[in-house]
Amino acid sequence: MSEKLLEVKNLAVSYHGYAGEVQSVRRVTFDVNKGETLAVVGESGCGKSVTAKSIMHLIKVPPAEIKEGSEILFNGEDVLKFDKKRLSQYRGGEAAIIFQDALAALNPTMTVGNQIIENIRHHSKVSKKEAMAQAVELLRMVGIPQPESRVKQYPHEFSGGMRQRVMIAIAFACNPQLLIADEPTTALDVTIQAQIVDLIKDLQREKGTAVILITHDLGVVANIAHRIVVMYSGKIVERGSNLDIFHHPKHPYTNALLEAVPRLDLVNKQVLTSIEGTPPDLLNPPKGCPFCTRCKYCMEICCTEEPPTEDFGDGHEASCWLYSLEKPAEDAPFTWEDK
Amino acid sequence: MKKTILYFLKRLLVMLFTLYIIATATFFLLAATPGDALTARVEKLPDIVVERLYEKYGLNKPVMERYVTTMVGILKGDFGESIIYQGQTVPNIIKEKGPVSARLGIQQMLLGVSLGLLLGVLAAVKKGTIVDWLVVALSILLISVPNLVFALMLQQIFAGTLAWFPVIGWPKENIWFGGWEYTVLPTLAGCFGYIASYARLLKASMLDVMNQDYILTAESKGLSRFEVVRYHVLRNSFIPIVTNLPMTVAMCITGSFFIESVFSIPGLGLYYVNAVAAQDVTIVMGETVIISAIYIAVVFITDILYTIVDPRIRISGGKK
Repeated sequence: MSEKLLEVKNLAVSYHGYAGEVQSVRRVTFDVNKGETLAVVGESGCGKSVTAKSIMHLIKVPPAEIKEGSEILFNGEDVLKFDKKRLSQYRGGEAAIIFQDALAALNPTMTVGNQIIENIRHHSKVSKKEAMAQAVELLRMVGIPQPESRVKQYPHEFSGGMRQRVMIAIAFACNPQLLIADEPTTALDVTIQAQIVDLIKDLQREKGTAVILITHDLGVVANIAHRIVVMYSGKIVERGSNLDIFHHPKHPYTNALLEAVPRLDLVNKQVLTSIEGTPPDLLNPPKGCPFCTRCKYCMEICCTEEPPTEDFGDGHEASCWLYSLEKPAEDAPFTWEDK
Repeated sequence: MKKTILYFLKRLLVMLFTLYIIATATFFLLAATPGDALTARVEKLPDIVVERLYEKYGLNKPVMERYVTTMVGILKGDFGESIIYQGQTVPNIIKEKGPVSARLGIQQMLLGVSLGLLLGVLAAVKKGTIVDWLVVALSILLISVPNLVFALMLQQIFAGTLAWFPVIGWPKENIWFGGWEYTVLPTLAGCFGYIASYARLLKASMLDVMNQDYILTAESKGLSRFEVVRYHVLRNSFIPIVTNLPMTVAMCITGSFFIESVFSIPGLGLYYVNAVAAQDVTIVMGETVIISAIYIAVVFITDILYTIVDPRIRISGGKK
């Protein structure tokens, strides 16, 4: 069952700008099993999208740099070492990606049908007519009404939610083994968000596709993800099953994220909290835990040394000093106001 | 459909009104300049002859009366006779000089625009390499030096020192296809500006398109770099080119004063400027109105072209 489809090992990506080197992703390791949904959660700028683009090998080098030692194994093959030919089979055929803003992600001067058949015809030798028939079927599959006439329309003639459905149709055109959804619902309103998430979920179940769902919204993740990875400033701070993360969060950051999600199941009116402060500047990443300046339970050691990764069993891990036995005995959490 | 017809009618009205304003402004500007076309000629003539001359061209009448006569004439399509060259009328001049300017302009444009677009694609695809730098350096050079300077330099080197081409002149027979040796240097001198501006325009536009998300989508489908450029980048980056092109066409066929004077080419541009210098009001009015009409029509064509290259834009805002 749990056969590994994708293994990301020690991925590190930096961008070289005028100000210096921005370390967007700092040694990230995770894996995705076949047919499973992995959610990558984190706030803006934590390296989620860069990780997603790296898996598709869409990172522009330069200005970016994928560091030595990074590995992205897809069925055991390293995506980063693919040659042009292998890469063109892999992209769109074996792995597909959908982006946050479907309007920007669709070519404005090309009909929706042509954008779908472009994918089909690149990966299998079929006639234009056949491909168009497949495109109509794909649009029907993603729930677009009157697909026969809609294929001839341009992206601007679709509504936001429909455009995202078109993106999903393009992504599923060649039945990929892996779908990366980079914030697929962020630009949509809440009712549409739920529809899109359900659509991805249904298609995934039907086709057995593995999905990496990237989002900053834990609410989106709750009923779709099997496992969740929480990223913060280019690192994974906690990982675990859906249950682990939602019911037994270990890392203070995960905790803070959960407190920021409104809940309908609580009777009393609850106060939504926000996380004070801003993530660290990745031009000069902090020596210790990147979350220490915003953490409620920060200790002396957090500011000076990188926290170790503690294992809580069944793949539930968190990188935090609170759970470590190696920390100095006298070190206890303090609040920043006291300092 | 009804909406489209209404839109066209509205546009036509606006175009005619624009033309009317241009004609009026030109008329009063010419009327406000001191002296007139006859001043220099009548200095030594007896008063009675002077009077008759003024009478003949109607230059003795009050400004407003002349304005009405001119406007009525334009409405009828009669711009009047040249004051300087007897018997010459605007249609005659355009029939005679128009093709000369048009051939020169079309040759310049074909060479300049095609070379410019080629260099633009090269610079954008090879961004950051030596090719890109060379194209940028070349276009800065070509755009900053006026074509008059190039014209004189080419004339000096290729017609003077090397004597490969005639120094001045223009083919008198077979005006569209003959006497190419006369046309080489003026065409070259005039096309440099187009090379530079189109190379820069296309490069900027392509780089902009290449940063769009849909290029990432195209790449994520597994398309090769060539396919991405061919099917996704080029069409979208041609939108500004298509809208610039009609203006270039208009500029070309209405002639260029500098090139035409350096190479003594009997074209519209040279004639037009000379007419202004000599205050040949009828000719200036006529040419201004006709050239303006061409430009106004070109702007209209541009708007239609927009809707062809960019499906997001539809005439009158309705769906097809």
